[in-house]
Amino acid sequence: MEKYDSIWDMYRKKGISRRSFIKTCTAMTALLGLAPTMLPKVVEAAEKRLPVVIWLHGHECTGCSEAFIRSGAPMTSDVILNMIALEYDDTLSAASGEPFEHHLQEVIKEYKGKYILAVEGAVPPDASGGYCMVGGKSFLEQIKEVADGAAAVIAYGTCAAWGGIQAARPNPTQAVSISDVIKNKPIINVPGCPPIPEVMTGVIAHYAMFGELPPLDNKNCPKQFYGNRIHDTCYRRPFFDAGMFANDFNDAGAKAGWCLYKLGCRGPETYASCGSMRWWNGLSYPIQSGHGCIGCTSKNFWDNDPFYQRLPEVAGLGLGNIDKIGAVATGALAVGITAHLATSAVQKKKRDKKEAEKIKQALEEQDRQSKRKD
Amino acid sequence: MTVKERDFVETSIPDGKQLNLVRYYIFSPFLRIFHWLMVISIIVLFATGIVIMTPMSMGEGQYVALNEWHLSVDWIRNLHFVFGFILTAAFLFRIYGYIVNKGDRLLPNIFKIKFWDDLVEVMLHYCLLKYTHKQFLRNPMARMSYVAIYGLIIVEIFTGLAMYFQVNPNGVGAFLFGWLTVPYGEMALHVVHHLVAWAIFLFAAIHVYMVVRADFMEREGEISSMISGTKILAHLPDDINDIRNEHGKIIKG
Ligand code: HEM
Ligand code: HEM
Ligand code: SF4
Ligand code: SF4
Repeated sequence: MEKYDSIWDMYRKKGISRRSFIKTCTAMTALLGLAPTMLPKVVEAAEKRLPVVIWLHGHECTGCSEAFIRSGAPMTSDVILNMIALEYDDTLSAASGEPFEHHLQEVIKEYKGKYILAVEGAVPPDASGGYCMVGGKSFLEQIKEVADGAAAVIAYGTCAAWGGIQAARPNPTQAVSISDVIKNKPIINVPGCPPIPEVMTGVIAHYAMFGELPPLDNKNCPKQFYGNRIHDTCYRRPFFDAGMFANDFNDAGAKAGWCLYKLGCRGPETYASCGSMRWWNGLSYPIQSGHGCIGCTSKNFWDNDPFYQRLPEVAGLGLGNIDKIGAVATGALAVGITAHLATSAVQKKKRDKKEAEKIKQALEEQDRQSKRKD
Repeated sequence: MTVKERDFVETSIPDGKQLNLVRYYIFSPFLRIFHWLMVISIIVLFATGIVIMTPMSMGEGQYVALNEWHLSVDWIRNLHFVFGFILTAAFLFRIYGYIVNKGDRLLPNIFKIKFWDDLVEVMLHYCLLKYTHKQFLRNPMARMSYVAIYGLIIVEIFTGLAMYFQVNPNGVGAFLFGWLTVPYGEMALHVVHHLVAWAIFLFAAIHVYMVVRADFMEREGEISSMISGTKILAHLPDDINDIRNEHGKIIKG
């Protein structure tokens, strides 16, 4: 396969015009969520060397890769063949076994401090636990070794970003996120279960173009893709505001496409581009297909069960929803207050009676004494 | 310290005895205004909050009839936010009162053994095991419970503002409160906010009962004190030192 130095180099060698190159750059600028005035920078970046990427797979289902390879704009093939130099990815590569692991070592040595590490999956932190072994080593060892020479780390998927389903109760392997084990490198979290394919390619394309991390929010997620709540970009929001809800997946409200809040939609606390970019080149997204958001980009989303109720139940208590617990407590309190009030009233009455008796006795005593004097 | 000046005598005691009553000034207007604004806003916040979690709905595919009066979810939420901000603003004034007036600072004296002894005494009283207890400006149990309720209200304000400002995660509000969404995710804020809302509701129910009970059974002049800022007491309260000024004089009403 032919190797290219940069995207522009590829266009030139393939005989594609400068004009279409600029067009592609313009599209890329829009895709990355940048202002049109950034175009010259994008062009400049596209003329630079391709960044080397190592892609590791940990404790995961590989769903993120499944999503990644379905990216439409930029096309995954463009990204992995032309925009980045993907030197190691054990699920996408044809090579395997000893030689491939050897290749990894060489890449680490050759591009030390310059390559990007992309990780999918969580990390079981007990290296001797025997969970998630890669090429005879624990994944923990592998990721530490590779991250050591990386310029930056991209945590793809909720598992890598937050621990994800692996880390859900009761978390038998004690799985943790990448940022829990890698402390000394810049980390970009790209959560989602899986993330939207275009978001995955968009983030790596951003790094490939500019050689720097995209602007990140307080959870280290790229602002351009995780800057809005689903709820605030949802096309069903007018139904929410008006109080028009589906109460059941089979009712007329559900058929009419009303808001799914009462069916447990997690849109109000989830940040992702599903509402604006949608999936599969804008075809649809979960809420559009009639199912509430499950909050797959959020920390602990799997533990916020049950999914079909507005708020999760208090973990592990099995007492039902919060309002039910509150109502029971209020009932108990009402009984308690009534009993307390009644008892205090009885006590006061007795006490007052005793007091009155004492006073009466004292008065009688006085009476007797005064009589005796007479 | 004698408390002779401005004493007045109450003669309406049933058995014909006389009591010397003294009026003490305790609560600044900031505290009282905050208290009543809090009463109103907590009632509204709790009611609207419960409706936010389970919005009204009239059954299969039906419009909410109450929409006709604009009781939409949008409206309910805005009401919640407006009262949330009223509560927050009133709380800030309450802090100002705390700084300027000694009577607004009736906190638990947790470093004094006496405080804990008194606490046991008052608790025995409320467990109905002891008929009377010493008179206080504010009894140790009340002192503890008000610290707890302020803690809960602060939790409510912080989690509430954090959720509220996340509409624009790049704004100033999110900069100030957004860090709360980081450790356990934003859903955890909803759960905490909702649980604490119930805790405040239960506190309020107990509080109103205790205040009314103290007023009627122990003549502690409670309810009027939250209006006038003063208490009229028959005995020198045990914790009178908490409202002496720097010259050792008692602040009188
Ligand atoms: C003691 C005072 C308060 C009480 C009792 C209270 C109660 C509640 C309750 C029960 C909920 C429903 C829980 C849910 O569905 O998430 C809620 C939601 C909420 N509250 Fe409060 N709240 C209080 C103060 C505040 C304050 C000060 C703010 C700040 C503006 C605030 C902002 C919010 C927000 C943003 C929500 C979520 C609304 C939504 O998801 O649509 N709350 N509150
Ligand atoms: C009609 C209902 C209420 C009445 C008659 C009432 C009455 C009073 C009275 C008399 C006090 C002064 C206690 C003392 O002498 O130490 C007080 C204090 C207090 N009340 Fe209420 N209250 C009511 C409702 C509420 C509610 C709903 C809340 C909040 C959930 C609340 C929170 C407080 C707090 C925090 C204090 C301490 C004041 C301070 O130190 O800032 N009250 N209340
Ligand atoms: S985030 Fe979800 S899709 Fe991605 S690897 Fe983890 S479990 Fe699979
Ligand atoms: S469907 Fe979900 S995200 Fe959309 S408006 Fe309703 S609650 Fe919000």
